[in-house]
Amino acid sequence: MKSALILGFVLLVGLWYLSFSATRLDRLHHRVETSWANLDVLLQKRAAIALEIAHSDLADPASSLLLTGAAYQARDADVEHRSVAESGLSGALSLILSDGLAHASDSEKALLQELSALTAKIGVAIAIHTDAVSSTQMVRKKLVVKTFRLAGTAPLPVTYEFESDVL
Amino acid sequence: MLTKKLTIGIVCPYGWDTPGGVQNHVRDLAEFLIAAGHTVSVLAPAIDESQLPDYVVSAGKPISIPYNGAVARVLFGPIAYARVRQWIGSAEFDLLHLHEPAIPSISLLACWAAEGPMVGTFHAAAKRQKVIFAIGPILEPAIEKLSARIAVSEAARLTLTDHLETDAVVVPNGIYAKRYSAGIFQQKWAGNTIGFIGRFEEPRKGLQVLVDALPIVARFAPDVKVFVAGPGDPREFEKHIDPQLRHRFEFLGKISEQEKADFMSSVSLYVAPNTGGESFGIILAEALAGGACVVASNIPAFDSLLGSGEFGALFESENSTDLAKVIIDLLRDQNRRKQLSIAGKAHAQIFDWDVVAQQIFSIYEMAMVGANGVSLSSDGRAWSRFLSRDEEKK
Repeated sequence: MKSALILGFVLLVGLWYLSFSATRLDRLHHRVETSWANLDVLLQKRAAIALEIAHSDLADPASSLLLTGAAYQARDADVEHRSVAESGLSGALSLILSDGLAHASDSEKALLQELSALTAKIGVAIAIHTDAVSSTQMVRKKLVVKTFRLAGTAPLPVTYEFESDVL
Repeated sequence: MLTKKLTIGIVCPYGWDTPGGVQNHVRDLAEFLIAAGHTVSVLAPAIDESQLPDYVVSAGKPISIPYNGAVARVLFGPIAYARVRQWIGSAEFDLLHLHEPAIPSISLLACWAAEGPMVGTFHAAAKRQKVIFAIGPILEPAIEKLSARIAVSEAARLTLTDHLETDAVVVPNGIYAKRYSAGIFQQKWAGNTIGFIGRFEEPRKGLQVLVDALPIVARFAPDVKVFVAGPGDPREFEKHIDPQLRHRFEFLGKISEQEKADFMSSVSLYVAPNTGGESFGIILAEALAGGACVVASNIPAFDSLLGSGEFGALFESENSTDLAKVIIDLLRDQNRRKQLSIAGKAHAQIFDWDVVAQQIFSIYEMAMVGANGVSLSSDGRAWSRFLSRDEEKK
């Protein structure tokens, strides 16, 4: 009788722990998705601004060509090539920014300001996203998660190798 | 700028009526957000509930426990948990901002009880402790519910990555830089003077290091004077000072914010000889904003705040000979002093609330992406009901 009680109790605690772990994991997956969505929006915005800069007087024809190419690549890249394409865009932008500031007009200065505000946000968004990804990966490595397949069919999130100092 | 008006809940883990860095930060942040048109409610433990500003909700009387080498006034337990849940349910918060969610207080309880966009700010910097192996697994599931983490300094961020293996974005503590740069020069504090502000009785504030350095300084600068401001009993402390040098120390007691600004603008040197336990060093940011030439010990928080010596002079922590040397060099070199104070004043603008609140707010925006306000957590529903059943009976 007594041992049956204990067994029942242990079973209950075990079940509670399973449900707890499953909720935890679900929340983490959700965080990975939302933080990625957030980052994606910011990166798209950056590509749009890059195109605007490319079409402004800030860029000479050669760098305009370079920037337009990089911006389109960053927009079209699929998930695997995204980080390479974004780094390429960062590089092209920093080339322009390093010598294009002197003769900027007022509207172009506003554009550059918008870009630098966006860059700061992207930095934060990257930090939040990589953090979500790494904690999800850590929880999914746990034995209890693996044995009971608590992750279901959700794909294992992959770390995106962003350069930490975008621009 | 801050366009959409939000309802923000802020949780302060320490007793509201005891002075402290976290409490000041929460108060300033709340007031800044309210001034920007947001609706803010702060949940904090409080001893005297009648003295609270109207945006603060009391969570009950704090309990004093020894924590991290000091006495912390925190609050936890089933009744506090029920209060936290009630507070979360009482308003439709768009976002919760939890301060110090890794210490056993109501921030952790709120983190446990709520679901939705949450931002956590970590203030403390501490060396790695063994105990974390025991409490880590308990904290981890709660801490990872935070949508975004903020650390107030590089030191606090390292503590976080060390202890809980999670990263954070560094956003410094805020100051009202304009108040300090408006400080008026006071002749009574000018000359070959050294300023110190803080609870000088606490050994970690390091006033003793300055006292030990003074005999050497006095030999080279015979008219040097030290002004010590801050709460405490000077008579007890004066016993540790060489009788011949006692008249060089003047204790001002606790000074007002306005006096503090004047003080920073008037003294030749502001010395912060703290020996550790400091995570950010808000007083240094205030001194820089007030245009003081700062000398500080080279503990990590100060080193990074002063840009490794770019915005103020550093000396080897707890080494009074080195401190004396730095002080003498600076007292003799007016140009260098001026140079440091100008560089420091310009640098201090990045700690202004206008800048800092903007950074915090953009993190709020990111935390809220795709979420629909804060609600009570659904996990362990039976458990929560068990803990808060008294509340429901009423």
